[in-house]
Amino acid sequence: MSMLSTYQLVAIAMFGIGLFGVMNRRSLVGMLIGVELMLNGAGLSIMAAAQFTQTAGALAQLSTLLVMGLAAAETTLVLAIVLIVDKRFGHVESENVSLLRG
Amino acid sequence: MQYLAYLTFGLYLVLVLGGGLVATGSRSIVRAFAGLLVALVGVAGLYFLMDAPFIALMQILIYIGAVCVIIFMAVMLTMASRGEGYESKLKTPAKRIMSMLAGAVMAFLLAGMVMKYPLASTAVPRNIPVSELGKALLGPYALVFELISVILFVAMVGAMVAVYERRK
Repeated sequence: MSMLSTYQLVAIAMFGIGLFGVMNRRSLVGMLIGVELMLNGAGLSIMAAAQFTQTAGALAQLSTLLVMGLAAAETTLVLAIVLIVDKRFGHVESENVSLLRG
Repeated sequence: MQYLAYLTFGLYLVLVLGGGLVATGSRSIVRAFAGLLVALVGVAGLYFLMDAPFIALMQILIYIGAVCVIIFMAVMLTMASRGEGYESKLKTPAKRIMSMLAGAVMAFLLAGMVMKYPLASTAVPRNIPVSELGKALLGPYALVFELISVILFVAMVGAMVAVYERRK
């Protein structure tokens, strides 16, 4: 098995674990942890694709950096959402925050 | 020398997978958070092993330094004050198996594609100097660079506006 496939399998395993975490968790913070794992798996996959093939290397390293930047922005917004949900409902569990009122 | 590389790869693999499993499986949120930290350190190690030290340091700086602190703040501001820190109850076993299946099916599909269509891979990772990254960021990818800063700015301002409370 080539190095690229090995690293990509690790990345895919991480993605799968993250997806399981998002589905399995009740609280929004736990789901956020799962999303971070998935994003990290994506970054790892992009990075492996750059370092072990003949593509433009700088492009992929910058893509990984951009994924990190987007993850930071996304986490900030999720923190704000979690704080608002906590203020309004008194807890941060996703199953009890599913009611829409017009 | 080659054995050393395999050894470190195995170590980082254990860190990534073990940390990930703790992060998703543990009932205590704080323990899950610690598992996430371990997994992120493992990924940074994998970046080092891929001969990309700059991205590895960025991983430590951005993920462990910023994202984890934000998640820790979320835990602190919502759960710790009420003495919770645990999820109220576990999901039912049926739901647990369903979510396990969701992750496993996705992972096996992707892994099957990777194994079925292997790309031509070099055995040794390439080393791209940081100066080249900087030139690319200020040359052909300058627009992306500006856009990501705008996105970060909008996200920060949006987060502050969302939780802002007028003094009564």
